Amino acid sequence: MNQFVTLFVGGLFLGAIYALVALGFVTIFRATGVINFAQGSVLLLGAYVIGRLHDSIGFWPAVAAGILVAAAASVLVDVVLIRRARAADLGTLAILTLGVNILLSTELTRQIGTDVLSIGAPWGSDVVEVAGIRVPASRVIAGGVALVLVAALGVAVKFTDWGVAMRSAAEDGETASLMGIRLNRVAAGAWALAGGLAAVGGLFLTSFPAAGVTPDAGLVALAAIPAVVLGGFDSPAGAVVGGLIIGVVSVLCAGYQDELSFLGRGIGTTAPYVVMLLVLLVRPSGLFGTREVTRV
Amino acid sequence: MDVARRDRVDAPNVTRGRAGGGDVVLEVRGLHAGYGRALRALAGASLSVREGAVVAVLGNNGAGKSTLLRAISGTLGQHGGTIARGTIEHDGRSLVGLDAATIARQGVVQVPEGRRVFGRLTVAENLRAGGIAARDKRGREAALRRVLELFPVLRDRARQRAALLSGGEQQMLAIGRALMAGPRVLLLDEPSLGLAPKVVAQVGEVIGEINRGGVTVVLVEQNAAMALAVADRAVVLEVGTVSLEGSAAELADAEGVRDRYLGTRSPPATAPPAPPAATQVQELTVDGLSVNFGGIKALDDVSFVVQPGSMHALIGPNGAGKSTCLNVLSGVYRASAGSVRYGHRELTRLRPHRVAALGVSRTFQNISLSPGVTVLDNLLVARHRLMREGFVSGGLRLPRARRERAAHEQRAREIAALLDLGDAVGRLVRTLSYGTRKRVELARALCAEPGLLLLDEPVAGMTSDESAAMARAIATARAELGISVLVVEHDMSFVMGIADRVTVLDFGRRIADGPPAAVQSDPEVVRAYLGGAA
Repeated sequence: MNQFVTLFVGGLFLGAIYALVALGFVTIFRATGVINFAQGSVLLLGAYVIGRLHDSIGFWPAVAAGILVAAAASVLVDVVLIRRARAADLGTLAILTLGVNILLSTELTRQIGTDVLSIGAPWGSDVVEVAGIRVPASRVIAGGVALVLVAALGVAVKFTDWGVAMRSAAEDGETASLMGIRLNRVAAGAWALAGGLAAVGGLFLTSFPAAGVTPDAGLVALAAIPAVVLGGFDSPAGAVVGGLIIGVVSVLCAGYQDELSFLGRGIGTTAPYVVMLLVLLVRPSGLFGTREVTRV
Repeated sequence: MDVARRDRVDAPNVTRGRAGGGDVVLEVRGLHAGYGRALRALAGASLSVREGAVVAVLGNNGAGKSTLLRAISGTLGQHGGTIARGTIEHDGRSLVGLDAATIARQGVVQVPEGRRVFGRLTVAENLRAGGIAARDKRGREAALRRVLELFPVLRDRARQRAALLSGGEQQMLAIGRALMAGPRVLLLDEPSLGLAPKVVAQVGEVIGEINRGGVTVVLVEQNAAMALAVADRAVVLEVGTVSLEGSAAELADAEGVRDRYLGTRSPPATAPPAPPAATQVQELTVDGLSVNFGGIKALDDVSFVVQPGSMHALIGPNGAGKSTCLNVLSGVYRASAGSVRYGHRELTRLRPHRVAALGVSRTFQNISLSPGVTVLDNLLVARHRLMREGFVSGGLRLPRARRERAAHEQRAREIAALLDLGDAVGRLVRTLSYGTRKRVELARALCAEPGLLLLDEPVAGMTSDESAAMARAIATARAELGISVLVVEHDMSFVMGIADRVTVLDFGRRIADGPPAAVQSDPEVVRAYLGGAA
């Protein structure tokens, strides 16, 4: 029982990190209709900048720099590539971002080389213990940060001009532009936000218990994709819930790997996709997604 | 179907309120615009709007009204269209090439057709979205007060999601949202579309009220009655150019407007008698048909009968329920009440492919052909229901499959020749002109060997030559094949020339049914098309 609770709580914290990355996916999809596969490499870029800079300029300035660089890189993808091809279909744009992802992560892998860059976080490898449940401090902080960010974002989307502009543009871009809302700016804002969220996700995905900044971090971010799909592509709430579900499922499956040995080894990595498929069988547009409606 | 004339009615302007005494605030000159190579929507349209005026832009479907508004508001590109020639100036500055948001920020704000409220946002958020780009940030509070004064219902519904509002309330929200942007020129695209008569009257009053507040209004309408009641001046668009222009009062009496909306000039029906049909042609009986979308009654207790072998027309202003009716007949929409019988079969509970299998085939208002394949292949798709060989024998090109295909190709070519498409069968659909594509769609429907053919606005957006060719094609097809045809159209003059019997819908209800001549002089019909002006 104790093991279950420990795994479950650990899963929730990991899920919170996925939720941040997934929220970035959803934000971009809603604002520009692009499935952004470059999110993984932008996450790695953010973590890499933090890992390289924290020794010379200190940890917190390095975090700020990482977030800024990731946001800028993300905006650059939108302005240079996506904006010109906005009329292209979903598939073309997705493949475009896939290409960006390959280029950027290859270059970062070359830069990292065989080093294992430490992220230099002040909480190091501390472990928090409450009522017999042991969780790494970095994960607890990640959960807290995710909670604050999600809440702040929720409030901003609901109550600010920026949020109203974003939601109107997402629902009907042409009409929004008729009201004077600049779609290019809304789009760039969404890409910047997604880049920043990815960098924060990267910070925590490369903190303890992970070894440090390795090219694998970009791959770990792929786990956010089933989270997005199962939450429903265009729903921020879905991204959060999806992230949490994927976190819990993968940690539980990894923790009970021995009991689940009849399913083969490494079930922790495949479980998110199994859950995703099961959800899609019952709800084809995800848990919170809007249903496609077509009329003649 | 007369050729576009430019009868400038030069009489003193009827002054009404602060009617258009000011400087020219919006000037469109010689505008040519189109979509791709196939469809030219505007051919030299001009429009001059004076500060403080209400100018109505009238015309049938496809006359270029929406294209004109899109060109002004900068959204033409988002619909795949381009401006080829001509100028658009607001306050002496060109609007051509600017993006929609910039144009809106300069004070030219459009209320899009079909309202397009942000359904997932609340009413208050919709209004807020409208005000985001307002030049005067501090004026927002005042603008909101004005809008809520104008539309008190929006105050009561402020926290509801806009999707839950009725059609009329959504229209008011859409107008209110645009007012939040602080427009100098307000462009309205068919604000009366699909609304009940009482609500249309309200919308008209509101437009007058907005105008008295100092906003110049360009009103694109198909409802000539409503538009002429609120406008100072009006222009009539026909196949992309202005064919009539003058003060609203003059246009309401002008012969040309009556022709266009009631088709009084076309000769009486001279359709040839139909020969016995090769396919089984049966009677179509529509009885007490009603369709609801949410709270909106699209069709309300509509009944009519299409006699075997006859040409029956279903007409009415935009939003009258014509296309809805067609969609029920072909199985796309479900009926809320009533029945549709073809022969002895009930159609209302059948899926679209089952309806097609009974020998009912249709065309669409917006062409739905496969653009990347040949005309012949498009036609063969329709013969699918008549083919016996499966995909295995077809894929293996077994002799009997090849024989079957040859036979069907032969028939498809015959039908193409019947519609003057003989030369086009081998060409890719996307290389054809708009009018030819419409005929290909008709040919495809005929290739299914129907007993009953449903045509949805076959001449929408056509030039008068093209529409004459279409009329010939339909008449030939019916004469040769002896089938029944139900044609939905709101180009009255087209229908009057070819129909045996006409049913008129207005706001989902049947207001007339009878031979063309009788319907044409029916006071109810005149009122629906021209309102009190006639």
